[in-house]
Amino acid sequence: MTTAHSNLALTGPSQPDGPAFALTGTRASGHGDAILAWVTRGSAIVVILMLVSLVSVLAYASVPAIRTFGVGFLTSHDWRPNELPGEPKRDATGNLIFEDGEVVLEMIPASFGALPVIYGTTVSSVLALLFAVPLSLGAALFLTRIARGWIVAPVSFLIEFLAAIPSIAYGIWGLFVLAPFLQRYVEPALNKFFAITPGLRWLAFPSTPTGRDMFAGGLILGVMVVPIITAVARDVLRAVPRNQVEGTVALGATWWQSSKEMLKYSRSGLFGAIMLGLARAAGETMAVTMVIGNNNQIAASPFAPAQTMSSLLANEFAEASTEIHRSALIEVALILLLMSLAFNVVARYLVVGKGSRSAAAH
Amino acid sequence: MISLLKKTAAVAVLALSGTVAMAETKLTGAGATFPNPIYQKWVAEYQKSHPDVKIDYQSIGSGGGIKGITEKTIDFAGSDAPMSKKELAAAGGEIVHIPTVAGAVVAAYNLPDFKGELKLDGPTLAEIFHGKITKWNDPKIAALNEGTSLPAVGITPAWRTDGSGTTFVFTNYLATQSNEFKNAVGMGKQVKWPTGQGGKGNEGVTAIVQGTPGAIGYVELNYATQNQIAFATMKNKDGKFVKCSPDSVAAAGAGAVGKMDKSLAVDIWNQGGDESYPIAAFTYIIVYKDLGYLKDQGKAKALVDFLKWATTEGQSTAKEMDYAPLAAPVQKKVADALATLTWSGSPVAAAK
Repeated sequence: MTTAHSNLALTGPSQPDGPAFALTGTRASGHGDAILAWVTRGSAIVVILMLVSLVSVLAYASVPAIRTFGVGFLTSHDWRPNELPGEPKRDATGNLIFEDGEVVLEMIPASFGALPVIYGTTVSSVLALLFAVPLSLGAALFLTRIARGWIVAPVSFLIEFLAAIPSIAYGIWGLFVLAPFLQRYVEPALNKFFAITPGLRWLAFPSTPTGRDMFAGGLILGVMVVPIITAVARDVLRAVPRNQVEGTVALGATWWQSSKEMLKYSRSGLFGAIMLGLARAAGETMAVTMVIGNNNQIAASPFAPAQTMSSLLANEFAEASTEIHRSALIEVALILLLMSLAFNVVARYLVVGKGSRSAAAH
Repeated sequence: MISLLKKTAAVAVLALSGTVAMAETKLTGAGATFPNPIYQKWVAEYQKSHPDVKIDYQSIGSGGGIKGITEKTIDFAGSDAPMSKKELAAAGGEIVHIPTVAGAVVAAYNLPDFKGELKLDGPTLAEIFHGKITKWNDPKIAALNEGTSLPAVGITPAWRTDGSGTTFVFTNYLATQSNEFKNAVGMGKQVKWPTGQGGKGNEGVTAIVQGTPGAIGYVELNYATQNQIAFATMKNKDGKFVKCSPDSVAAAGAGAVGKMDKSLAVDIWNQGGDESYPIAAFTYIIVYKDLGYLKDQGKAKALVDFLKWATTEGQSTAKEMDYAPLAAPVQKKVADALATLTWSGSPVAAAK
């Protein structure tokens, strides 16, 4: 994520279209150049090979699960790694079969469905955006329009510093500070409000909220994506041509009206920033695992424990003992990878692709 | 520069030959995490008296251990659950389960305003984890705890999200207590819990219980005692309420000795008797009956000697680490089993 961000931060409207210097390697002293050209080319190829091998290994290892569950994997909500006892087994003549004095039972095989975790990832990411987008856009507008020169650098640094805090540190904060706080002060009141408000009753959690649930997961993800959305949104807003802003002010717009025009002007870039935040939220693992409650279920209430794709992998992969269980987990990883890839592609297209084209049009 | 390199190389060679001269026997084991603390302690103690034997145990989980012994990439495996029929078939040769210590699973709870000691029985515990009993003041819980006042707080069951021997023992015990639970949730290292919250590892479940008023979670005894969390006293098969302790778990192990004729891998949950705690199980070291796969007769001898030591003298360290030692009749059975191990057909014990 950081790489994608720094790439974007570097890509301003003034970016030239092609490399400034072409390596030809024809001069007398060209040996060094030729070697360097091959080394860099090799590095680029290795990086691409890493991605290709990642996808192909995941695809290959998920074949058993794809074969067993097919499309049903995406729509089933049953995630049960153990076999269940079923009907008694009978031989050809219909008699019960005994072994060690006990009736032998047909076992109902383990079953795996990814719908609860796809739902968990989607809902927690959307909740994260609900928390983070207003905050990030507000901070970005402040940094581009209100803040004076000397305050911009330290505030930007501090916001970006949030991105450098390791995920596990957020998780520990979430577990020991955020979750108890939500459990004691926020969730009981909100839950009561949901329970007595007609039309919102479906959001109420029937038992006692614990502070480790979808709501907490979304909240911590929100905190984690704020720096990314803020940094990219700030750069996007900065790229709005000055005459555009001055034009609105000249026409008598208030500060808020001209800011609104600014947001409107750069909406595709801002949307891209949000998509980048979404991609990070969807892939985030440790912090979410610690506060989301880890229950593979689909529940309407935000105060019910849930599970995301990445937290499922963190929880179960190390001790998955059957082949089909491992394979199902790898298929979840593959789906997550494809989802993140899609978010990133859309975000890049919106921030960089359109950005440079509109810059070229000016 | 070059002479310096040569000198360094010479020193390195000397150091290497020094190691070789000691004729060290190296044994590698891997598997269950639950007995890891006592295995590490045993290894350290054993090395004091046997400096020529080096034993390395990696706690990678029971599943990994069984995989390792099946592929013969390790010398012995540790596992909380005995190998299943399928796994035994995959292993090829004859497998021997050696019980090393017994462990117990307790139902740890968090009820801040509850005074006294919570009492539960198997069917009630099964209904709690099945989501049938949802409040602490449910009449079924109240009936077991007469004279106390239970709060009207919702119950949050807490369980393991990772596959584990702890879950295996706990679900197998609950399945003996409730057919409904057995058919709907079933038994295994990892099951689909109908309600509650998941935590990774004993520490994850412990954290949920400590942080959530109204939570009840199953953890290994030593986690509950070390973190000073209250846990329920359980009613056993004979209707006696038994507090979990190394002694009450050892009593459950002793009660199962009668079943040990065919294999030492026997269930010790739901044992009767005045002192038996009902949610208990042995943890095993698993080897092939014929140790020929070790490729070295010295290794085979060292392994058998270590196992003999661990299941006799080593037992004295069990209690202080919250494991239940093997009762004397069980130790006798283990000694008999170790005597049957062979090295390419002939008994290891006799070999020099």
